[in-house]
Amino acid sequence: MSKKRFLAMLTAGAMALTLAGCGNSANEGGNGGASADPNADAGKDGADTYKIALIQQHQTNAFQIAVSEAAEAKAAELGVDLTILSADQDAATQISQIEQCVSEGYNAILFEPVDPDGLGDAAKNAADAGVVVINIISACTDWESNGIAAVSFGDNVKAGETEMQNVADLLGGKGNIAILTGPSGDSGGLQRMEGYENVLKNYPDIKQVVAPADCQWDTASAQSTVESWLSAYDLDAIVCENDGMAAGANSGIIITGVDGTPDGFEAIQDGRITGTVSQNGGAMAANGIEAAVKLLSGGSLDKNVIITDNTWIDASNVSTFA
Amino acid sequence: MEYILEMKDISKTFPGVKALDRVQLQIKPGEVHALMGENGAGKSTLMKILMGIYSKDDGGEILFSGKPYKAASPKEAMDLGVAMIHQELNPILDMSVYENIFVGREIRKNGLVDKKAEIEQSRKLIEESGLHVAPEEKLRSLTVAQCQLIEIIKAISVNAKVIIMDEPTAAISEREVELLFGHIRKLAEKGVAIIYISHRMDEIFSICDRVSVYRDGQYIASGDTKDLDEAQLIKMMVGREITDVFPKLEAEIGEVVLEAKNIARADRKVKGVSFSVRKGEILGIGGLVGAGRSELVEGLFGMHPLSSGEVFIRDKRVAVHSPHDIIKEGVALITEDRKVTGLNLSGTVNDNIAMVAIRKLLSHGLYNKNKARSASLDYIKKLNIKTPSGDQIVGNLSGGNQQKVVIAKWLLNDPDIIILDEPTRGIDVGAKRDIYLLLGKLVQQGKAVVMISSEIPELMGVCDRIMVMCEGNLSGEVKRADFSQERIMALASAIEV
Amino acid sequence: MKQKKNAKALISEYFIFAIFIALVIVLTCLKPSFIQPSNLVNIMKQASINGILAFGMMFVIIAGGFDMSVGSTVAFTGILAAMLGQGQYPLIVPLIVAMLAGLAVGLVNGVGVAIGDLPPFIMTLGTMTAVRGLALLTSKGKPITGISKEYRGIAGGSVFGVPMLAVFLVIVILICSFVLAKTVYGRRVYACGGNLQAARVSGINTTAIRISTFAIAGLLAGLSGFLMTSRVTIGQPTAAESYEMDAITACVVGGVSMAGGVGKPWGVVVGCLLITIIANGLDIMGVSSHWQKIVKGAIIVLAVLMDVKGKGKKN
Repeated sequence: MSKKRFLAMLTAGAMALTLAGCGNSANEGGNGGASADPNADAGKDGADTYKIALIQQHQTNAFQIAVSEAAEAKAAELGVDLTILSADQDAATQISQIEQCVSEGYNAILFEPVDPDGLGDAAKNAADAGVVVINIISACTDWESNGIAAVSFGDNVKAGETEMQNVADLLGGKGNIAILTGPSGDSGGLQRMEGYENVLKNYPDIKQVVAPADCQWDTASAQSTVESWLSAYDLDAIVCENDGMAAGANSGIIITGVDGTPDGFEAIQDGRITGTVSQNGGAMAANGIEAAVKLLSGGSLDKNVIITDNTWIDASNVSTFA
Repeated sequence: MEYILEMKDISKTFPGVKALDRVQLQIKPGEVHALMGENGAGKSTLMKILMGIYSKDDGGEILFSGKPYKAASPKEAMDLGVAMIHQELNPILDMSVYENIFVGREIRKNGLVDKKAEIEQSRKLIEESGLHVAPEEKLRSLTVAQCQLIEIIKAISVNAKVIIMDEPTAAISEREVELLFGHIRKLAEKGVAIIYISHRMDEIFSICDRVSVYRDGQYIASGDTKDLDEAQLIKMMVGREITDVFPKLEAEIGEVVLEAKNIARADRKVKGVSFSVRKGEILGIGGLVGAGRSELVEGLFGMHPLSSGEVFIRDKRVAVHSPHDIIKEGVALITEDRKVTGLNLSGTVNDNIAMVAIRKLLSHGLYNKNKARSASLDYIKKLNIKTPSGDQIVGNLSGGNQQKVVIAKWLLNDPDIIILDEPTRGIDVGAKRDIYLLLGKLVQQGKAVVMISSEIPELMGVCDRIMVMCEGNLSGEVKRADFSQERIMALASAIEV
Repeated sequence: MKQKKNAKALISEYFIFAIFIALVIVLTCLKPSFIQPSNLVNIMKQASINGILAFGMMFVIIAGGFDMSVGSTVAFTGILAAMLGQGQYPLIVPLIVAMLAGLAVGLVNGVGVAIGDLPPFIMTLGTMTAVRGLALLTSKGKPITGISKEYRGIAGGSVFGVPMLAVFLVIVILICSFVLAKTVYGRRVYACGGNLQAARVSGINTTAIRISTFAIAGLLAGLSGFLMTSRVTIGQPTAAESYEMDAITACVVGGVSMAGGVGKPWGVVVGCLLITIIANGLDIMGVSSHWQKIVKGAIIVLAVLMDVKGKGKKN
């Protein structure tokens, strides 16, 4: 009796897991199907279907979702087999995922580094194993010497400059501003800040009346920071390093963001945000996949730095983007 | 050297309270020495000083084998030859028997635990004690009584010259008490002195050679038990004469108010028991620990699923699916373990009394603190609960007063049928008497009372009728006129032999 | 009746092992490359840091405690190791400093819990937040780059095909298992968690034991920080966010009771591998990380359920 019960438990457990497994493979079908094929070398045999992996920093905001969607569309268009993974903002996880993709026989790996300095060795090992490695959205430090074949990104410094220039124009070169930043140490944030500083040098009458606040890209935390600021400072504009925080900063003064995500556009249409710099992450991913396919089919790239231009979007032109 | 242990003029002051005031204790080798006194008399404090858990005030001295004794921790006390079996059982349930026996003084070989030697020695100790468990068994799978004996084995195994036993029989049945007494006598023969703390008079007279009595932190007297009788002892403890230990108030017995037919529990701990109780009657339920008494009333009360059985209250059938169904019919159950199921120990007296009958304390649908306060004040007076105020935290009250709070909380709900499971366990003589009187008053008011107890004298003292259970069955019923200790003991162990 | 009890206990004891085997079989069937040596090496590497943390956590939980601060400690000690591991000192210096710093955090936790009588959750929640701040402060909020080649080589290297990270884990497993199973100290850790009061009156210095378990968790978090920096090649102040939860998960899934006093090292090894192969297996099948969380959550609940049901109730 006891043995039987034990066996029954085992079987039930195994079945539950198999079911979970089925669910997963069904899910995977949506991503291209072929990766469910037990023959892991399929990609290399049938010269037409390349196996490409895209490892995103995370998948939890509108910008990143736009990246996944554009990448899937591009993969379908080019007929490549694309798998999308998320590193959940953890460098160690991203390294593990790159190692896995190499041992799984992927032909190309695209990734947005969680940390510009931490992923270099992993990228180099992958490249040494013969995989085409491409950075999107942001690049690893010394990417070329780490074997990364190409980078496809927007220029964060330029995006910062565009944003601050527009704020300066709106203020007429004079006023009190405050800045909301992403997590301390985030490379994208630091580069945008550099862009801000480049512009602010030219406008001595624009004053930062309070030190930049780290709001972790988070809408709610931006909201509470801005609420406390407004009770203490007389601000004319709040400059945010992304749209999510800009949406939270809503307070009737000039609010700007970067990214150009759907929720940012909506906020511009409602008048909660004055304007944003569209980074077009989707195009960065799509360009990255195109470059990967070109390299895999024996071609070469005109330039291995593919810049997606940024655009200033405000109430006047938002309808063409949203 | 006449005494193995002498404690002279020991005092202990806690912030604001003098717990012990120049107290004496003298223990001879090989004697069983009872410490008696009501709760709060200072017995536990004295023993904790001996064990190195508390340190005494300056002045006074402790001599052990004629030499000055000082223990700063239980470990030091044990190393010196004093061991204690605590009132609250202290087994580590997820450890095996041998691990429990040697916890804190593991046998070492090359700096590591010598498991083999521990198992070997445990086996020997267990055999000597007549217990039937394997050293590798986990304590979780043993009964409370077996765990108690393991604690005793542990104390013996340190080669202690003095063993303190604080209420060792609180959780075990009569038969196991006999087993325990056998061990105590054997130990005494070997020259080990036993300090025995208990509230049970019959035990004191059957096992102890001498007794020391304390009251309110003062030493009262010592003497040989053979020269004393119960009344004298109680007078020393309480400080006044209690002529009547089991007061019995006369009440008129009326019609049947609760009838249970063929109650059986799904877990087979109760196998088809029927009984009834009348208005104005106190029904006792006797039997050994594990006979299914608590299980019967808990099943009846809807705390466990029944496999069969019907409950009638005032001739009306009640379908009991949860305690709520039967509380609604005016039944109250005062559970055995007041600390676990009866009280919120960190709440105040007022909070606890208000817990069950909270609906009565509402005004406009909201909890009314003043109503609760006056209701609680009423019961503090009625039940003679000794507390500075209704705002006192219940955990700070003595056991007897905690029990009264539990009873008060149910009485506030004005039940007609009151079931009490071991209501006097671990509480002192004075408080016990208060509870017996209270039960008497309740039946005089026309309520019905069912009381479970392991103390046969208590059942015989206050009940009108006693039903006895054995291994989940009803083994017999005795009317007040036919009460005798032998008869009840026989019924309690009838089917077992 | 006894038979029944044993069967129940058996199921609860080996349940997680069965789940583990079943998962390996299912993953291998769905994706044969899962069982390839190259992927097994991946799994070993991925299990290492969480495994080391889980073993430290095991001491704390068995002794009846709980440590929320190890993730932050990994980040902080990782920063220290990165600053000292730029090639200016031999590698033993960053290793020892990281471990000492971890030990210090552990001692603070232990003193707060065992002497200050604070609930472990509150105490370590405090240090979790404070130590994260310390990591950000030390690094001025920026990643520390430029660690030496030798230092990078530790996580990258391997011995006879076994990655160095896994070698560290195996050493930690062997030492911890030995300490818990064979030494007097190990026995007393179980006693403290099983019944603190009983341990105290049995003459055990429970304060010292409890402090020491937190110290061990801190020490191993320091080791993890050192290895983490080697693996990601930088010291990141924001690294190892919520790693404490993964360590706790590995323990709980591996049969360590949150009530204390119960838990076997091999269970934690299985628990840790189980979590790793869930992430690894679902990753190589291309399943979104959102699904992984659901599966992980379900397994935690199932494991604890089996633990509770298997024990049964006493009387």
